[in-house]
Amino acid sequence: MSLALILLIHSLKRVRYLVIVMGLLLAGFQVVLTLVARSIQRSNAFDEITALIPDFMRQLMGPSVVGLMSFSGIVCVGYFHIAVMGSLVGITIGLATEPAGEIETGFMDLILSRPLARPWVITRSIMVLAICTLFMLAMMMLGTWAGLHWLAPRDAEWPTPSLIRSLAINLGALMLCWGGVTLAISSLARRRSVAGSLAGLLALSTFLLDYVARAWQPAEKIAWLSPFRYYNPLDLVMGKAIPAHHLWVLVGIASAGAGAAYYFFSRRDI
Amino acid sequence: MSSGAASQSAISVAELSKYYGRLLAVKDLNLEVFQGESFGFLGLNGAGKTTTIRILLDLLRPSSGKASVLGKDCQLDGLKVRSHVGYLPGELGFYGDMTGRETLDFLARLCRQAVQRGYRQQLQDRLELSSADLHRKLREYSTGMKRKLGLIQAFQGDPMLLILDEPTEGLDPLMQEALYALLVEVQKRGRTVFMSSHVLSEVERVCDRIALLRQGEVVLLSTVDEVRSMAARRVRVVFENDVEYLAGRLPAGSQLIESQPRQWKLQVHGPLGPLLSTLKELPVKDLEVQESHLEDILMKYYREGTQ
Repeated sequence: MSLALILLIHSLKRVRYLVIVMGLLLAGFQVVLTLVARSIQRSNAFDEITALIPDFMRQLMGPSVVGLMSFSGIVCVGYFHIAVMGSLVGITIGLATEPAGEIETGFMDLILSRPLARPWVITRSIMVLAICTLFMLAMMMLGTWAGLHWLAPRDAEWPTPSLIRSLAINLGALMLCWGGVTLAISSLARRRSVAGSLAGLLALSTFLLDYVARAWQPAEKIAWLSPFRYYNPLDLVMGKAIPAHHLWVLVGIASAGAGAAYYFFSRRDI
Repeated sequence: MSSGAASQSAISVAELSKYYGRLLAVKDLNLEVFQGESFGFLGLNGAGKTTTIRILLDLLRPSSGKASVLGKDCQLDGLKVRSHVGYLPGELGFYGDMTGRETLDFLARLCRQAVQRGYRQQLQDRLELSSADLHRKLREYSTGMKRKLGLIQAFQGDPMLLILDEPTEGLDPLMQEALYALLVEVQKRGRTVFMSSHVLSEVERVCDRIALLRQGEVVLLSTVDEVRSMAARRVRVVFENDVEYLAGRLPAGSQLIESQPRQWKLQVHGPLGPLLSTLKELPVKDLEVQESHLEDILMKYYREGTQ
């Protein structure tokens, strides 16, 4: 077995409970959302709820409010609900700070005193991120599928599989983007808390930037700096295809972060 | 040092320097450790011992100079170097949620050489870390148990070179004895031991040669015997009758520290022969010679550094 694989299995074993619990919670949330959508559908309350939305919110959301206030729209909320996005980005940051954590505890000394090349440590973290991201998204999709099959009313219009897939792919790209950014920070840090805090702060500020820019025109000029700008779930719900360049931007940031992590980690003092 | 293996170097360091920002941790260090030798790397805290060790393992990158292990450059050929090295860090970082066995197995798998189960068991027995202990989570381990586990992981691959950073830190006296015996045994099998320490008695007991580091520089590099011979021996002479001390009676190298009518306390540098010749003429009842210790001479170097 290659040394990188040994390292990967070790890391996956360490995070397995966290990731499995997170996956189950996310899947459960998707089921709950289907339940909510069924309840609204049965009481024909979508129009009433739409009427309750304040004008400024409607202006902010544009025509997508119509798409969102439907059975299909409510089911899809799980892919861009702030709690879901926050949890996923948070867990991604947690996973990507593993190198800094290993340096902080001193475990990295034991690992790198073996005949293991430093780039494998970063490769391991990238693989952990990819596997865990795939697992959690798969659990979300499974939750959506199970919820629809068990709970959806017969007359309800289901979200199409391609819509769910597009939302999951775009969300996955966003997670990997933050994984790459965090990995770059982690490859320079000596403390996990410092790497995590910096990445978390960056994620929060860019999220707020994107949010503010949607309502406040002057902020729009710099909103392109926010990775969250390249995740437009409401457009997808409205039936638009994923803009390929958005995916490329997110994957590009992830790749640049990973590249920087390889560079920094190979040259740093442990 | 085993004389046959003395010609090949296990560790070679040339003009090695390391800066942490503006702080100079190691300055133009030159060092050669021979294969089969047990080498003590001494110095006060912050002298640069751990920095040097970490450069040998490519955990730190030198600011200038070169370091090689078993003929291979530590930075350019680090993988080959590390496949022959067993390392015990000064500060052990284990994961508390892993068991001792999981940790040993994981670290063994990361070595390219297979670990002999029998040898590991032997190490466990000698360091008194039972199989039941190894099934416990590391968060339940005491400091001494973690140290034992650290030693087992360093020794288990039976590497050509053992680099041990403060190996007896946290070990009880019995376990220190067990470790000394283990070190002697591996050295007999031709392995090289490079250990840092500030416990002078253990270095004196285990090592063939020492280097004393002070503020990043080697201020003493010598065999233990040579260093010991540099220190004065203390001699107490008890007489049958009262003896009057006469200045100039003592041979060169001998110095009277305390004089009583029936007892002298002396400090002797070099051989005891001349003193014994002098004492032959006096009514000596008893003679007590205290062997010189490394500590006597090294403390002088340490003190010089702090002044």
